[in-house]
Amino acid sequence: MQNNPPVFTAEQVSCTVPSPDGDRIVFSGLAFAIARGEIVDLVGPSGSGKSSLLTAFARLNPHATGTFMLEGRTADGFTPQRWRREVAYLPQKPILPGNTVAEAIRLPFTLAVRADAPTAAAGADGDGRQGRFGRGLSRFFRSDGAHARELLPNGRIRGTLDAMGCDDIDLERHPHDLSGGQAARISLARTLLTEPKVLLADEVDAGLDDENADRVASIMAYAAGRGMAIVRIRHRPPDGRASRIVTLEGGALTETMAEAADGKGAGR
Amino acid sequence: MSGNAYDIDVWGLVVAMAMVAVAAGVSEIMRMGIGRSLLWSACRALLQLCAMGFVVGFVIRADNPWFVFATIGVMLLAAVQIVLSRAKGVPKGLAGPVLLSLTITMLLMIALVTELVVRPHPWYAPQLVVPLTGMLLGNTVSALAVGLSRFYESMDERRDEIDTLLALGATAWEAARPSIVSSIRLGLLPTMATLASCGIVTIPGMMAGQVIAGGDPVEAGKYQFVVFAAIAALTLVADSLIMAMTYRTCFTADDQFRPRDMRGVR
Repeated sequence: MQNNPPVFTAEQVSCTVPSPDGDRIVFSGLAFAIARGEIVDLVGPSGSGKSSLLTAFARLNPHATGTFMLEGRTADGFTPQRWRREVAYLPQKPILPGNTVAEAIRLPFTLAVRADAPTAAAGADGDGRQGRFGRGLSRFFRSDGAHARELLPNGRIRGTLDAMGCDDIDLERHPHDLSGGQAARISLARTLLTEPKVLLADEVDAGLDDENADRVASIMAYAAGRGMAIVRIRHRPPDGRASRIVTLEGGALTETMAEAADGKGAGR
Repeated sequence: MSGNAYDIDVWGLVVAMAMVAVAAGVSEIMRMGIGRSLLWSACRALLQLCAMGFVVGFVIRADNPWFVFATIGVMLLAAVQIVLSRAKGVPKGLAGPVLLSLTITMLLMIALVTELVVRPHPWYAPQLVVPLTGMLLGNTVSALAVGLSRFYESMDERRDEIDTLLALGATAWEAARPSIVSSIRLGLLPTMATLASCGIVTIPGMMAGQVIAGGDPVEAGKYQFVVFAAIAALTLVADSLIMAMTYRTCFTADDQFRPRDMRGVR
């Protein structure tokens, strides 16, 4: 796996947080690379800056700087939105706006950055119902639910959720009624359905019981099997799904091979 | 100046002031702690209104467009100052956008209401333009102050949601949109309530003034409607303009969320 060319590389990543008594350097000059289909665990004591590192990769961290490359192209060549479409950060807290689970999952497809994605119902009478101008104007103030339904019909959501072991979740339920484990899985499914090239999962299994944590882990292993590069922040003992474990401590990254630490090997 | 059918003499002012003093006294006895500021505000209001009366009287007699616009300019600057002092939790450097949105709204008001609907002679008729501007500013100032406070408050409340939206590829506008909509709605609420209740529950100030001064009540009603309609529409314009100009203060150039402590809140 180490021979694969990396899909994502980061160099000279630094993060400096302002504080009342001068700026505090969380880390500086870090380098990281990950190949297609690889799962890497990021561990380290709390406060060591693991989340800051992942948000820096997704260009979401206003305190961080660095040089990032995706498939050989530098981040400067992307708009922030296009970059985040390919390098997707998945926050620890599942936030599911909307009245139904289906609506929450469709949220990314209501955004302008995915307006040009090919529709599932190809060649539908998309622009016929409403003039382009009218649609443009109304898009400005509310998200285009109809277009999102064309891009991601209920059938496709259902199929993906079932494949991910989420057959216990009804699409018409209110997101508030989901349990913690269900919300975490839906949040993960939402990001996976956008098919990013790199997934940065920030302790998605925190606060879940072992069964749900295992489900989340196998969903990610499935996505990695289809070529997604995944970085996971974890506090749990190694589950054998990662090919490498990277430790962030005292502002430095150190790497250990996972196979040595765990007998099961990469579980795919 | 005695345009009114029934003028108010000095004793009238004394009676009004005495009423405030009694109310302040009662509130002191009840330990509500607002007596002092009530009295102080009443004195300020009396002085400000008398001063305004003299200024408007002077501008009307002078009949010079430059005086009209100078008066409006001073009112605009005062309005900016009031918006910025009333809006809570807003970053520094909003004076420019607030002034611009108030100015544009005011120019629209003069262009549409004065020149299109009323068509006075001369075109800058001070007794029309100055009070109209005052009424418009009174409304937009509170709408902007409420709208701005609500916007920044909402952005901080929705912090996790905004981070999630940005991570999913939302633009700054898409991430801020729910807060923008809710703040404009809140800013417009009093205006819409006034529109709905006027004529049944209340006789609005402008109409009441014309009726007391001996004008035809139906004419006064028509005038009031035009002014209310314009104020409602233009308050929406002012709120939308200020939001369009300021929502980006919550984001960095790279469309990252800029939390409250990075915004330089006053």
